[in-house]
Amino acid sequence: MNVILSTIIWAPLLFALIAVFLPERNDEERTRVRTVALAGAGASFFVTTFFAILGQIGLGPGGGLASAYQENHTWFWNFLFQAHYDLVADGITLPLLVVVTTIFGCAMFHSWKVHERVRLYVVLMLLVETGVNGVLCSSDFVLFAAFWGLLLVPMYLLIRIYGGDGARRAAAWFAGFQAVSLALIIATTVIVVVEAGNQTSDMTPDLTTFSITAETVGFWLSFIAFAIAMAIFPVHTWMIEAQSKASAGVATVLSGTMLMLGAYGMMRISLIVFPVPAHYYSFVITGLAVVGAFWGSIGALRQDELRRFIGYMNVAQMSLVLLAIGAQTSVALVGAVLLLAGQGFASAMLTLVSGAVEERTRTTSIRAMGGLVSQAPRLTGFYLVAAASIIGIPMLAGFTGDFMVFAGSFPEHRIATVLVMASVIVTTGGLVWVANRVFFGPVRDQFARVRDVTLLDLTVLIPLVGAVLLFGVRAGAVVPVITNGVLEITTRITGG
Amino acid sequence: MNSTHAMTLALLPEAMLVGIAVLSAIIAVVRPGLRPDVHRWIACIGLLGSLAACALVLLGLRQHPSGIAVNVLSGGFVVDSFALFIAILACVTALITCLISDSAVRTIPLRTSAYYALILVSTAAVEAIAAERDMITLFVALAAMLLCLVALGALVKTNPRGAVSSFEHLIEGGAGLAAVLYGLVLLYGTTRSTNLAVVTGAASGAPGAVALGVALAVLGLCAMFGVFPLRQWVGRVATNIPAGTAGFIIAASLIAGGAALARVTISGLGPDVSVWRWLVPIVAALGLGYSSLSSLRETTVSRLIGQLVSAQAAMLLLGLLAFGNGSRGFPAYGMTAFLGGLGITAIAILAAFGVLAMLQVAGIGDRIEDMRGLAHRSAPAALLLTVSLGTLAGVPPLAGFLSRALLISSAADTHYGWLAVLATGATLLTVIAAVRLFATLYADAGDEVPFTLGATPLVSRIVASAACIAGVGLVVLIQPLLAVATAGAGTLR
Repeated sequence: MNVILSTIIWAPLLFALIAVFLPERNDEERTRVRTVALAGAGASFFVTTFFAILGQIGLGPGGGLASAYQENHTWFWNFLFQAHYDLVADGITLPLLVVVTTIFGCAMFHSWKVHERVRLYVVLMLLVETGVNGVLCSSDFVLFAAFWGLLLVPMYLLIRIYGGDGARRAAAWFAGFQAVSLALIIATTVIVVVEAGNQTSDMTPDLTTFSITAETVGFWLSFIAFAIAMAIFPVHTWMIEAQSKASAGVATVLSGTMLMLGAYGMMRISLIVFPVPAHYYSFVITGLAVVGAFWGSIGALRQDELRRFIGYMNVAQMSLVLLAIGAQTSVALVGAVLLLAGQGFASAMLTLVSGAVEERTRTTSIRAMGGLVSQAPRLTGFYLVAAASIIGIPMLAGFTGDFMVFAGSFPEHRIATVLVMASVIVTTGGLVWVANRVFFGPVRDQFARVRDVTLLDLTVLIPLVGAVLLFGVRAGAVVPVITNGVLEITTRITGG
Repeated sequence: MNSTHAMTLALLPEAMLVGIAVLSAIIAVVRPGLRPDVHRWIACIGLLGSLAACALVLLGLRQHPSGIAVNVLSGGFVVDSFALFIAILACVTALITCLISDSAVRTIPLRTSAYYALILVSTAAVEAIAAERDMITLFVALAAMLLCLVALGALVKTNPRGAVSSFEHLIEGGAGLAAVLYGLVLLYGTTRSTNLAVVTGAASGAPGAVALGVALAVLGLCAMFGVFPLRQWVGRVATNIPAGTAGFIIAASLIAGGAALARVTISGLGPDVSVWRWLVPIVAALGLGYSSLSSLRETTVSRLIGQLVSAQAAMLLLGLLAFGNGSRGFPAYGMTAFLGGLGITAIAILAAFGVLAMLQVAGIGDRIEDMRGLAHRSAPAALLLTVSLGTLAGVPPLAGFLSRALLISSAADTHYGWLAVLATGATLLTVIAAVRLFATLYADAGDEVPFTLGATPLVSRIVASAACIAGVGLVVLIQPLLAVATAGAGTLR
């Protein structure tokens, strides 16, 4: 029996249950709690890496087929529709699973910086990981909605409890937007199970039974739901708030994984299940991508708070992914998946670096910082690697993604592609401007005693740098796997 | 099977309960100083006996493909798979109540036997309601149940408002019952029969009278079901009566109201009497809107639970509406969702009030303010409250969420799309209300003095915790529940 995907999903929950029963009265006990949590995230990471992605990459062009890793058990059937515990990891899912489990592993290492209510922190984190992994592997609407819903409460509590000033408001924004997103996903599910008439909540229903109206409504409901989760313009405000007010570890997970889920959902549901309206309204999607790209990149330039800057950068990055979703070509979609992976790693790195900077300088203001490179050269190095990946410097994770997104989108939406490419220049300018303000320039007296990265910081950041390099240098090994996953989308859209 | 045997078998589950209740009362008279525990275990034996009797009928049911095991009193009392489902649910509810209401019973050491006897008799009444297809006996069973529940609430009053709220429950329940009675009288006047199934045929003869009768009966039963507008009793009972007992009163009333509504509307009136098919959606919409919005402004946990119960009851009405075939000609399985949801809700109510009872014993106040930082002080208490309230509110991925998803899809499949949209919005509001409470439990700083739930007897703790865990377990094991619910729903028409 194939239980690899179940292991990836449920291992964090299992370790969370163990952690719940551990005491946390002193440092030693708190360390034990963190270790157990790390083991949970680690189990998920190692299973993903060794058994799933490496096995699939080893297959070359034959990797990433939906049938490679699949589990299917009927969940309930005495109803209007059958629901299945149906897990699939195809070429789209596998790389994203690697990204997610890596980021959660790093976040667990980062939990050593949390000193209060450690048990609650790690348990909530592991619950979020269960939900994220579950969403990525679900191939059944009800299961997908259940895992999506699992994210809501733990993430809300993580933002609120461990965040700084204003975390209450940020958490409320997060909960409000995500609850609406969940409601829209449920509505989409209902439309699919009722209108498809297949008596199943499987994610690949027979599309011939859909009426045009139902398909259009379903598409827009799912699109808005995932647009919220993806934090694209104009429903991005929750992410900016949460990104700036949550603790560094939580913000890392937020920017590294939650946004990715939105994009994944859009590809998996909005494009595959509703291909006709997705194609018909592609100009709207692309238009939103153009506006979002400029809104994000220009908005970032106006920020004085480091984390808000990263938040707007995420909006701009997600707009690139949206451009690919609007283009709906095979090359663009493969690029989008690569970009999601690169953005996940880079954004997580940026957030962790910004957290480290804020921790050392005791300020969040970009203008108040400066000259940190002399005290913290390695920290500066990590920032530059992350920034370079976002900009799309060759040999880093972002490059192949950016290139394929633009190359794949240009034939479909030429003007939009050129405009989005232009926004990348603004993004680059922003990242360079921040690097200059925060790390370079004259040394400021108040930061003369700033420490460079600690061993803990290195433990968290080095795996991310490794991943950015690996996805950059060995992108060719992953592309065939992703292409197999993307084939299903393009086949649906072209009516094949 | 001759009529005597049939009657015996039909009434065996109820007879077990009433008999044991009488026995408990006699023992209390003969041996007044007996430990309260003895009465509790006697009641449990009675409930287990009733469950065994249900099992016996169930065995007999296997030989009847129609799903009707016993049919007595000229079709007025029918023990079918629906009645058995409700009977088993009522017994399980009562059994859990007997095991978790230890703290409430301790306040009335001299009236313990009466307490358990009332639980048993009201359970018997709920079982009878589910089997009734005759107007007179249905009304008698409803009245008996209401009186028992009101007396139960009045018996265990621990604060001055307890008796008042029981009285208010009586008034409000009485008003609902009166509406039912007037409605049934009108139907009888039109049809010249006390059999509900005859109404369909007579509907065309006097449409106005039938419409009024049906409307009154349905609105009256909705009051018992805890749905807007006659739903104020739910909040009052939740607030002023000790938690363990309040849970039973609300859960039993919900089960009875649900069973009666299903019997009257689906078994009795059917699709041809259209009045209830436009009235119920309106009640459901108003109930969903009112209760879910009200849940956002509650300041006590017990009242919040009350609002969530009312919202969930209104949600269950969606299943009632989707009893026929869906848009594609397949069964919409609304009654399956209804019965499954009823089971999940009943267990969640008991779980929530069970946790509240443990907190009351530990000296924690009922205001949401008092719950600040509960997770710092007792992590298990916070966790149990989170799961039980989350289940009631429909927080994903707990069983309540799944139940709501099934109800909503059934409604959407039977052309009640607007109601499905409203129900989704209402779920959003109840989830937000629950999340706000969770934030208070986990995020807010409060009294940092730790406490344990150790003051609550072990059995009560285990049972209340198990009821909470059912909120998670039923997500995985939803299929057996749905299978039983489908069997139960199959004989309604």
